[in-house]
Amino acid sequence: MSVRKQATIKIVIRLAALALILLVCNWTYTRYFWKSDLDKHAEMLLELLEIQDTSDVLYFGESSNFSYNPEKDSLQDRISDFISYHYPDLNFGTINSSAYHMGIYLPLVKQITSERVKTIIVTLNLRTFDQAAIHSELESALQKKACMYEPRPPLVNRALMSLKLYDHTPAIERSRKMWEEWTYDTLKSDSFSFPAPTIKRWCELTKFPDSNGVENIEKRQLADHYIKAYAFIIDEENPRLKDMDALAKVAHDKGINLVFNLLAENTEYADSLVGPNLVHLMRQNANFLIRRFRDPKVMVVNNLELVPGWDYTDQKWTTEHYSQYGRQIIAKNVAEQMQIFLGAEYFVAQDIK
Amino acid sequence: MYYLLPSKWRWVLLLAASYFFYGYWKVEFLSLIVFSTVLDYFLAQKIHSSQNQWARRIFLLCSIAGNLGVLFIFKYLVLFLPEVDPMMVNVAASESPIMGTIKHAIHFSIPVGISFYTFQTMSYTIDVFFKRINPEKHLGRFAVFVSFFPQLVAGPIERFSHLQPQLKSAAKFGYSNLQNAFRLMLYGFFLKMCIADNLSPISDLVFDDPGLYGSGATLTGVLAFGFQIYADFAGYSLIAQGAALALGIHLIDNFKTPYWSKNISEFWHRWHISLSTWFRDYLYIPLGGNRVKQWRWAINIMLVFTISGFWHGANWTFLIWGGIHGALFLFERYGEKIVPLRTNSNRFIQGSRILKTFLLVQLAWIFFRSRSTEKSLTILKNIFRGETAESLSIEPVVLLLFAIFFVSDVILYNKRFDRWIDKFQWPLRWSIYAVLIFCILAFAGHFNHPFIYFQF
Repeated sequence: MSVRKQATIKIVIRLAALALILLVCNWTYTRYFWKSDLDKHAEMLLELLEIQDTSDVLYFGESSNFSYNPEKDSLQDRISDFISYHYPDLNFGTINSSAYHMGIYLPLVKQITSERVKTIIVTLNLRTFDQAAIHSELESALQKKACMYEPRPPLVNRALMSLKLYDHTPAIERSRKMWEEWTYDTLKSDSFSFPAPTIKRWCELTKFPDSNGVENIEKRQLADHYIKAYAFIIDEENPRLKDMDALAKVAHDKGINLVFNLLAENTEYADSLVGPNLVHLMRQNANFLIRRFRDPKVMVVNNLELVPGWDYTDQKWTTEHYSQYGRQIIAKNVAEQMQIFLGAEYFVAQDIK
Repeated sequence: MYYLLPSKWRWVLLLAASYFFYGYWKVEFLSLIVFSTVLDYFLAQKIHSSQNQWARRIFLLCSIAGNLGVLFIFKYLVLFLPEVDPMMVNVAASESPIMGTIKHAIHFSIPVGISFYTFQTMSYTIDVFFKRINPEKHLGRFAVFVSFFPQLVAGPIERFSHLQPQLKSAAKFGYSNLQNAFRLMLYGFFLKMCIADNLSPISDLVFDDPGLYGSGATLTGVLAFGFQIYADFAGYSLIAQGAALALGIHLIDNFKTPYWSKNISEFWHRWHISLSTWFRDYLYIPLGGNRVKQWRWAINIMLVFTISGFWHGANWTFLIWGGIHGALFLFERYGEKIVPLRTNSNRFIQGSRILKTFLLVQLAWIFFRSRSTEKSLTILKNIFRGETAESLSIEPVVLLLFAIFFVSDVILYNKRFDRWIDKFQWPLRWSIYAVLIFCILAFAGHFNHPFIYFQF
């Protein structure tokens, strides 16, 4: 046998041995170490694995679900709890973690294997589509979790996490991109006329002089913040839209009903600060999402202007945190619209307080 | 692909791979390595062909000035500039890409490997000047010597006479080379990913906020860094050696279990060997070595150590670190003259000397790792203060990994992993491979920690 042939056989045998080692390693890791790693790095997956077999409906939410007003609220129930009161014969499971978005829910939804889960509710807010959210400094940490959530052999996920094979762009690079988009990206739409060509320019045009011509700095900062949060047109290039499309496909492939819970934003305050242009733009984006995800098994529940301004726990900044009333009416709206999927189970729950 | 190519065309593949490897991080910094390559290629030709000794000296000075100039601008200039807000540099980059890139590089990102390849090319022109070697006539092959990807970013710093003949030779595929390459890389990845990356969060806690921790925790953090940097750098060197060996090229050993050294001199014969020999051959010996008067020799030693410290980074703490090693070296040498040490000392004395050297090196690392002398002194004070403040918790897995590493370092005293493991039968060999592979895949550190020496 030639030297080359001998070497080839040796290499093939060793590759086979390596493959066997990897299989044994994966089994050992999954059996003895995976759960503790999930607890440390990917706690939501652990929670999903624990609750999916006993849940008919899964609610994926972030801080909007569990924030409450300690001064006003008599009930601290979550939005998902209020929804579940309308479906008392169904078990609701909740996956809750702050700052999660569609891109992080996607791998979690892929991990649903339980035949019992028939419907999932996924929260989204308009701000998740803006530059600040897409280039958030939290994103690297979230992508690290998403790496562990992917439906791959556990040891592969652990190794990929160690090798940092996920988007771990440094915070300074993210803020640079965000700044560039605010400064240079042109705001354009066939259906909407922007007051300025760029976000930076729009912010510069928005002023709040008092009777002596002195600028109100606080209002100016808030107006800037609202413009940066909501001044965009959702288009095909938006990564969150792509995540939504992917999530809808996964749900469709699994035969699961999908409800996108479009959360309420403080449009009253946005109108008073920036003007009707911004609110009109927000409505346009919401309607775009509703039209796009209209399918026998997918829907967007529009709560955009449902919650009055006085109900928000944070009266000024753009957070989707509601007092009891806000959480209840959002839950009622979602539950009513879900009758399309779960009609027979619907129950008219107690009055909203 | 490499072995399928005729040997006369392999340089093309190596050069393309090396430039792609380097440019993948930041393509604009390729221009620096090309500049160094072209500069030294032509200057070496001039040095070799010129008969006039003054002209040869001028060409050599141009080479040294060119390489050190690039190093100064991109690595050391920031030391003399005021601090800049990163966002303002981002603004500058957006308004003028070229100026912005330069500003960003000066303030925030040193071109990877710049300290290594500039020293490698300088050694080439210096060797040509002293007629130790003839210059390479082929620009492409010379470019491969400068940019050979396994050792481009963090060494070992190779000599032309050692590396170039191998790059030019028609190396045939060797199964044993491939086997040893796998072994070296496997152990290298274990050191880097399992040891260095798991120890770094521990040392970071202490070095980022030294005031919080008591004696025990501070000492733990310091020791953690000492082993982190060893595992990190030795791991990288092994990976580089393995990658080169897969191509039939033998790079020099850069580490030889340095923490078992009995004195500082021996430590520098075992730690970052390619750098210490570079400074010995191109700075210490030209300054006169030990063939000068005592006082001059002592100055030479201090100069070489402080400059080698400064080579590591643009911070005065690196100077101090180098100076400490120089002072310890001199102290030991003069101490031996007063109290000669027997070479056949018993094990207890040998062990004490090893422990003494180890602890001194660890204390010196404090200045290497801290970014300010104030923090360094705070850490030193904390170690000796004896107070118990905040403590550190270390995961059992990390302790287990460290134990494996410690035992392997004992076993591998003066041995290389690939040669050591070769003497075992395949069941034991493959069991060791399996354990290392499992540790790498299951327990590797997951925080964002690039190779430490990439920043130099």
